[in-house]
Amino acid sequence: MQFLIAWLEKYFLPLAGKIGGQKHLIALRDAFIGTLPATMAGSVAVMLNALLRDLPPLAFEGYDGNSIPVIREIIAVNGYVWNGTLAIAGLIFVFSWGYNIAKAYGVNELSGGIVSTAASIAGITFSFSGGITGLNLDAATVEAINAAGWSATTEGITAAGWGWLPLNNLDANFFFTAMIIGFIATMIYVKLMLKDITIKLPDSVPPAISKAFASIIPATVALYVVAIFYFVFSKFVPDMTFLQWLQKTVALPLLGLSQGFGAVVLVALFVQLFWFFGIHGPNVLAPILEGVFGVAQLENVNLFQQGGVDLVLEEGYMWVRGSFDAYAWYGGSGGTIVLIIALLLFSKRKDYRTVANLSVGPGIFNINEPIMFGLPIVLNPLMFIPFLLTPVVSVSIGYFATLWGLVNPVSQQVVWVTPPFLLSFLATGADWRAPIVTLVAMLVSFLIWIPFVIAANKMAPDAGQDDKIIADLEHDNKSV
Amino acid sequence: MIEISAGVHQDKIIELLNNYNEDGIQFTFNEKKGINLYFSTNIEDLEKAASVAKSVIKKQPWGSVLYFRSSPLS
Repeated sequence: MQFLIAWLEKYFLPLAGKIGGQKHLIALRDAFIGTLPATMAGSVAVMLNALLRDLPPLAFEGYDGNSIPVIREIIAVNGYVWNGTLAIAGLIFVFSWGYNIAKAYGVNELSGGIVSTAASIAGITFSFSGGITGLNLDAATVEAINAAGWSATTEGITAAGWGWLPLNNLDANFFFTAMIIGFIATMIYVKLMLKDITIKLPDSVPPAISKAFASIIPATVALYVVAIFYFVFSKFVPDMTFLQWLQKTVALPLLGLSQGFGAVVLVALFVQLFWFFGIHGPNVLAPILEGVFGVAQLENVNLFQQGGVDLVLEEGYMWVRGSFDAYAWYGGSGGTIVLIIALLLFSKRKDYRTVANLSVGPGIFNINEPIMFGLPIVLNPLMFIPFLLTPVVSVSIGYFATLWGLVNPVSQQVVWVTPPFLLSFLATGADWRAPIVTLVAMLVSFLIWIPFVIAANKMAPDAGQDDKIIADLEHDNKSV
Repeated sequence: MIEISAGVHQDKIIELLNNYNEDGIQFTFNEKKGINLYFSTNIEDLEKAASVAKSVIKKQPWGSVLYFRSSPLS
């Protein structure tokens, strides 16, 4: 074990440290985290509407929430919340992204957010057009339609308009454009700021004004560079905006790849491996967990709001960020709540039982530091196999249950401290089968843990040491 | 006394905290038991000492990805 730790510290940790400490990746992680107030508020709105509008018709024939006083008003209020949050989640992210990049470089954060937002929005289509053909309209109808500003003939109607920002360009679909264009524009802005290519005002000018003026040249250059790129792109790819092209060629294939069983298992496995060696797995893997699976989740949440679970099943993603929480990370990463139960039932070691007792409370809310460090699991060779294996098995159960339609995909964003069964129930839009899938995953994990807990009984500390270990553990109970 | 539980980079943590001396707070490495490192400190507020130690480790280039625990021991 010492050799392995030394090897890890020499070769692997520097790499993990570089990834985890890479300022752009930290900014990306913080940008996602920064959107949480909006995305969680939007998720609450979607969930409330699911409970008040979408789910009751399944149980009560003829139920229509939109026709019931008070319920109708609550649904409408939730709609407003959704409009300002998840419907424009990409727009909120792009500001957060630019803000955090600028912050990482120590330049005016507000201008960073503005540059990122402006540059990304610049490439979105502002117009729409659509039409119906094969009609047989009379002259009076054609005249009335044309008078209303549309274009009609006796055979068809064409509607076109300008000045519209389509919501499907500002929601989860916007993330990849934002990540690329927002990054390039903000980096141009940042570099020019750092080179001090700015307008300098006298000291007598208030700081807010002088800071804004200082950003003018860098921001203008950044936006012009991006605008020229959009222009050139439109010449080469006239039928698509950059966002549409990126969606088609990068985002959708990447999100598609994330839906493969191998990708899901690999992510689950690596997170566990990192945790085991005392490295913050989700932090290191945040670009994948949040940047790919998180985006897929927002897409599902939006689909649920627009068309309920049917639309999620039709157009959504099977496995998203919250799926890990729902089916594998119950009690914390590694599904450690199951280990706590196994310890309480089968462990004969006083020290292990004490740790388990101390870990139950936090474990119910998916906080597992007490057991990770108290048992410990970190760098404990005996725990290596079950700690790695159980989430992989649990993920597989959740994955195939979702794939085979035994449970609805995760379509709600639920805070990770929600207790396990409630979490999967809420995350799937109140699908009663989800807690059952979680339970099955837990039972299988439980069976995996049992032999290792029993084996640990045979490695109990010597008499006398036991009480000392327990005394230490009780001291350790309070962590910061 | 405070306890730092960390699986890796224990030597770096010991060196970092042993050499830390800011705002009148100092740490002295006492012993190592498995993944746990024990430090004594010159301030009475152990909660604060544990919190400072955690923050100092987190700020290191190698500390941002560490999964560790910093606890006061009464």
